[in-house]
Amino acid sequence: MIPGKYRSVSGRAANNVNCGLHLVIQTSSLPEKNKVRFKKVEFKLNKDTSSFPGRLLQHDLERNYSSRQGDHINLVSSSLSSFPILQRSSEEKILYSDRLSLERQKLTVCPIINGEDHLRLLNFQHNFITRIQNISNLQKLISLDLYDNQIEEISGLSTLRCLRVLLLGKNRIKKISNLENLKSLDVLDLHGNQITKIENINHLCELRVLNLARNFLSHVDNLNGLDSLTELNLRHNQITFVRDVDNLPCLQHLFLSFNNISSFDSVSCLADSSSLSDITFDGNPIAQESWYKHTVLQNMMQLRQLDMKRITEEERRMASVLAKKEEEKKRESHKQSLLKEKRRLTINNVARQWDLQQQRVANIATNEDRKDSDSPQDPCQIDGSTLSAFPEETGPLDSGLNNALQGLSVIDTYLVEVDGDTLSLYGSGALESLDRNWSVQTAGMITTVSFTFIEFDEIVQVLPKLKIKFPNSLHLKFKETNLVMLQQFNALAQLRRIDQLTIDPQGNPVVNFTLWKYYVLFRLSHFSMQKINGTEVTQNDMIMAERLFGILAHVASSELPQYRLISILGDARKKQFQYLLESKGKKPGIINEENNDSKRLVGENTNRATLNYTTRDFYNEKLEEIKEKKKFCKTYIEDLVKEATEINMKNEALQKLWPQMFIELVRDAVIEIRNKNSYMKLCLQQITDQK
Amino acid sequence: MLSPERLALPDYEYLAQRHVLTYMEDAVCQLLENREDISQYGIARFFTEYFNSVCQGTHILFREFSFVQATPHNRVSFLRAFWRCFRTVGKNGDLLTMKEYHCLLQLLCPDFPLELTQKAARIVLMDDAMDCLMSFSDFLFAFQIQFYYSEFLDSVAAIYEDLLSGKNPNTVIVPTSSSGQHRQRPALGEAGMLEGVEASLFYQCLENLCDRHKYSCPPPALVKEALSNVQRLTFYGFLMALSKHHGINQALGALPDKGDLMHDPAMDEELERLVVRSKLHRTSRQHRAKEPGAFGFQRREKQEALERVSSASVPMPYHYRWEPRE
Repeated sequence: MIPGKYRSVSGRAANNVNCGLHLVIQTSSLPEKNKVRFKKVEFKLNKDTSSFPGRLLQHDLERNYSSRQGDHINLVSSSLSSFPILQRSSEEKILYSDRLSLERQKLTVCPIINGEDHLRLLNFQHNFITRIQNISNLQKLISLDLYDNQIEEISGLSTLRCLRVLLLGKNRIKKISNLENLKSLDVLDLHGNQITKIENINHLCELRVLNLARNFLSHVDNLNGLDSLTELNLRHNQITFVRDVDNLPCLQHLFLSFNNISSFDSVSCLADSSSLSDITFDGNPIAQESWYKHTVLQNMMQLRQLDMKRITEEERRMASVLAKKEEEKKRESHKQSLLKEKRRLTINNVARQWDLQQQRVANIATNEDRKDSDSPQDPCQIDGSTLSAFPEETGPLDSGLNNALQGLSVIDTYLVEVDGDTLSLYGSGALESLDRNWSVQTAGMITTVSFTFIEFDEIVQVLPKLKIKFPNSLHLKFKETNLVMLQQFNALAQLRRIDQLTIDPQGNPVVNFTLWKYYVLFRLSHFSMQKINGTEVTQNDMIMAERLFGILAHVASSELPQYRLISILGDARKKQFQYLLESKGKKPGIINEENNDSKRLVGENTNRATLNYTTRDFYNEKLEEIKEKKKFCKTYIEDLVKEATEINMKNEALQKLWPQMFIELVRDAVIEIRNKNSYMKLCLQQITDQK
Repeated sequence: MLSPERLALPDYEYLAQRHVLTYMEDAVCQLLENREDISQYGIARFFTEYFNSVCQGTHILFREFSFVQATPHNRVSFLRAFWRCFRTVGKNGDLLTMKEYHCLLQLLCPDFPLELTQKAARIVLMDDAMDCLMSFSDFLFAFQIQFYYSEFLDSVAAIYEDLLSGKNPNTVIVPTSSSGQHRQRPALGEAGMLEGVEASLFYQCLENLCDRHKYSCPPPALVKEALSNVQRLTFYGFLMALSKHHGINQALGALPDKGDLMHDPAMDEELERLVVRSKLHRTSRQHRAKEPGAFGFQRREKQEALERVSSASVPMPYHYRWEPRE
């Protein structure tokens, strides 16, 4: 007898029916000759088997019959071997010549069955058999039922070439093996075992039903060759991915409930199977996803039932609509991530260049110090540890992104970003972007300007431009800009207004000073700043700043001689004009505005205005220029000194000689006048000579 | 004024001693640089102002380092200016690092070299842990010695090295102690051996140095005083002793005594006036500006911001914002 559950209901594909298997049990006249020795046990349905509501279950038909079996079976223990020998009464042999039921006989081993070589159905359900043995002589066997035993290994079946139904559910089988000769197998039931791998079944080309529920399978593959398989039950395993199902040309029903499938990719082969019409995924993580239903429907158009429910046209339509939406979303996010990636790469590139620059500078400095160093520095050599620890965001890149990015021929060396009210500049090349034609609206919206990886000295030069182009920029942020001296903050005074200042400690050593905030507040007091590095500025801070540096301002303004004041202030203004004039397309009107602005600023806080910042390069330039003048001055003064000392010498010599000279003069005069007459004659002579 | 010794010197020497030429050259150079501005109000006035500022010691403010260190008077003026401007920092009690002091120096002299500051810091920290914080007075006195006597100190360092390695620059006799022959040049202040050099020997060399060289050196008598109570000393120990010696400080005349370092009543008065003025100035600005929210920076509309910049004098509602911090 074959439990009815394995009968195929005539469905659409009714070509796999092998009539030989359908042993329809004679329902009517079942003589109840065999008295039951054991108490009546109800025939229980195996819960793990596929329960198709459409199926006819013949169990009720069989109940009376099967429960009555096992009566007149005598198990005689033989002295020859440890196996009991089975004997049946000849009556039974004639009546049930092709079937034998040894259900619940407390068998621990398979008994030797003699003289029954034409048996076709053998039932060993609910025993304690550990090994399949002693049935090799039953070469006509068509159905072997070993459900609910303790079998650990499939063996002893090699002679059963006619076997069509093999039921080994609820045993302890660890491996599918030794089924090589069972080429006619139609139904193979291995549910409730310990099988971890699908193998050694590729030759079963007539297999229609395969039940591997409640095993330890973690993946599904190796299913090729099962050309007749229509039903595959894999419920209650640990399956994470499914392969090879598209190699099953007849598969209609696939049960994957209660496994570990979490993405549709792991079951992607199902989309290629044209025969599948019924599938279950319930109890898998994938069934919890929001996109589950419509993704499945979209990818498996041939499906008629999902999770035991029919699929309506409405659902299909919804699925396609949702799938389209998903596609759109994915495209958008792809674009976004592409942009983000580009931004990240650019910033990393800028960071790298910055580090190179810093290392080069450091190397030059150290090389100058160590003139007799043994090992020459290689400025191009960069070891893994960079100077600036700029956090590299390493997000996952999918392959599509990678391909797209390789199309980028040039990776920029700077980045300019406008994000609502923030303008971000990365890299010194970005400073040129201030020259661009910004729309009034965009420029007006900008309230925060952020500088990263740019030398502060370079920023100083574009501050006038910033003032003009972005008049509403109230918050300045500096990161990795090499702010090392308090002096540098003097340069910020030329702006129109700053409300907030953020100096990131990274790359700005000046933040390590104790007094830097107070100095900023002091020097830029005319801005009435509200926040520095996120903390609010209190009046006490301002007072402290004034206390600390007020005298400096006082000294700088009142004690400088007038000409110095003028020259310093004049210098500052000249410098600003110089920066402005270097940019292109200056309108004269704006320069006048500049003039007024700076005048106003000077008026506001004269005592600080002399505290200026000249970038190192400019300063050195100036000093170079002065050298010529100094040389000239030196020679000029030397000449003067020479003159003066000559005169002095002459003076001193005169002082020394004068008394003597005076006496001589007087003596000469007296000698001359001694003889009046001759003196008169001499004088007259001199007069006539003159004429 | 017409002292006999003054008249006894020949011209050039006299000029050189008083560094008159330096100032003359510098004055003319400044004149050339700022020709346009100065021509407005006359050369005579310029020279008056210039030499007045030289007398007052304000001529070195914001000048390049080569000028600042050119003459002893410049150096003294610079020290004094530094003290006056940043006394408040010291008074506040802040301890700063060497780099920060260097920054303050650079505020007054933009190209002041870092090495001088480093050397000064080494004196204070006894050549140890250069990142340590230093107090204002310690730094200032050490800096004074280092800056004013820098050439002298360089020579002293050389002498010290020689003495340490056993070579005596004065006598011809080779020292008989075994240490002189076998020992290699040790690092300054090596532990385990006797530190430094013998004080008296050291002083003899210094005396010779002072006699030989023209540039300024501390009065030998005072140096002797400083070395009187020690047997041996290290280089930095010696410098530290110099910097702490009151007599030398007074001889220099740049800074007041250590006790009076924080006192400058005239300046304090001025400072109070400034602070009061800034307070008033600030609150009056608050009057004018629109008050942001109590919790800091408030995003302003573009229009408002533009308006505010152009018409800052328009009175707007006043909210009292500042609370005195307890």
